[in-house]
Amino acid sequence: MAQTQNEDPKFIWTIGGGKGGSGKSFITANIGICLSKLGVQVILIDADLGGANLHTFLGILPPSLSLSDFIKKRVSHLQEVLIPTGIPNLQLLTGAQDLLNAADAKNVQRRKLLHSIRSLEGDYILIDLGGGNSMSVLDFFLMSDGGILMVTPEPTSIENTYRFLKSAFYRRLRQSVSSYPVKTLIERAMDRKNEMGIKNPHDLLKAVMRINEEDANRIIEETENFHPNLILNQVRSKKDIEIGFSIRSACQKYFGIRLHYLGYVVYDQEVSNSVRRRRPLVLENTKSRAAQCVREIASKLANRHQMAFRF
Amino acid sequence: MKRIEEQTYYEVLEVSPTATAKEIQMAYERAKETFHSDSLAVYSLFSEEEIHEIQAAIEEAYRVLMDEALRKGYDRSHLQSPGGQKWEDPSERHGIPWEKRASLSFTDLSINAGEEIYRGKTLKQIRERMGVDLKTISAETKINMKILEWIEEEAIEKLPALVYLKGFLRGYAQSLGLDPQKVIEGYLQFLSDSKKK
Repeated sequence: MAQTQNEDPKFIWTIGGGKGGSGKSFITANIGICLSKLGVQVILIDADLGGANLHTFLGILPPSLSLSDFIKKRVSHLQEVLIPTGIPNLQLLTGAQDLLNAADAKNVQRRKLLHSIRSLEGDYILIDLGGGNSMSVLDFFLMSDGGILMVTPEPTSIENTYRFLKSAFYRRLRQSVSSYPVKTLIERAMDRKNEMGIKNPHDLLKAVMRINEEDANRIIEETENFHPNLILNQVRSKKDIEIGFSIRSACQKYFGIRLHYLGYVVYDQEVSNSVRRRRPLVLENTKSRAAQCVREIASKLANRHQMAFRF
Repeated sequence: MKRIEEQTYYEVLEVSPTATAKEIQMAYERAKETFHSDSLAVYSLFSEEEIHEIQAAIEEAYRVLMDEALRKGYDRSHLQSPGGQKWEDPSERHGIPWEKRASLSFTDLSINAGEEIYRGKTLKQIRERMGVDLKTISAETKINMKILEWIEEEAIEKLPALVYLKGFLRGYAQSLGLDPQKVIEGYLQFLSDSKKK
């Protein structure tokens, strides 16, 4: 599991959660550009299972080189499959979805891939996980230095985000405990209609306390150190903005976790216009309201240690 | 990781133990909005029963913390743990101290008060619970004291023309940290209903 306390100045962000269309690729591409403009080396990784098209948000054609060239040993080092984007300090890696999607992608392989990604020469690595909810996606989210949830102020998007967060949260707890009965208990607790009457993380903790106090303490510790981040996209009103704060409060009361509300991006026709022109918004229309929101969020990520998972 | 019944009233409302009445009022209104049964942020996460428990805890926390005497008693018995160690400050636990939240650009929020109708009496009650006198509001907003009194007394015949009244209500609401739009809409609705009667 990644640490922020280590000497590695590199920082890996994953952007996931929610459903398709909540703006994960848009935010990954545009935040990546904002960070690259600060003069730091940025690598974007497309791992969207649903539709890998981060290149389109950057205005480049589908790359011919991908991660599979590295996995199949057609190139010797991951660095060699990085694609220049035409934007200074910004490179792209595509094809990570192939590995995440592979049914036989074991945890060891994922860790190996993350290790290779971590060895890339860059200061910030942003991974677009897409809207998937598979074990691989969850593990990538949990293994990164900071995970960002993209959500729009709509019931379906919020529901999906909670589903993703619940899965990630319980998976993290399961990984942290040592006793087999507790691991099994956590697995069963994920089903809200479980026979044990465990309806929420508080009930789970109470049940674990009865079985293994040491694991119960681990769960408390993991909960306190789990700090996912939230970006609200396509907000149209002040009331929409408040939903981000409400989600934060709800997560605090339900999971006992501290969610960072990184900020919001206003609904702006210029976003759609820029996508159609295949030109990144923050380059195409720097003064648009959405671009200003993205820049503000990017500046918070630049102050990265505040927003880390703190594993 | 505390159950709602294990949280201090400050934790329930997500405010610092040193929060002012105004901050508590704002936090209460935000909490009420968040944990409203129809709230987008909670319906898919909590059961109805859990939401009712949280709503009851919010109301109780607000009732005690807005009453100076009750709050003092509560602080004496709850803010010092048995070992003499102080309870954690919930606003710190949430990463951003309350007083610094205003500096975040996206905290420029409207605070909604759920189903509350903002008639004059309601505004007066909120102001008094906050311990703010009309003089202070008048000084802050530059609104004449008499007009503020008429607004609170619901003196319909004395109130200024609608266009001015809206401006005064906006200033009044902002000074109490309430959502100006909701206050204006609520007050005008009250006036319209009164005229019909």
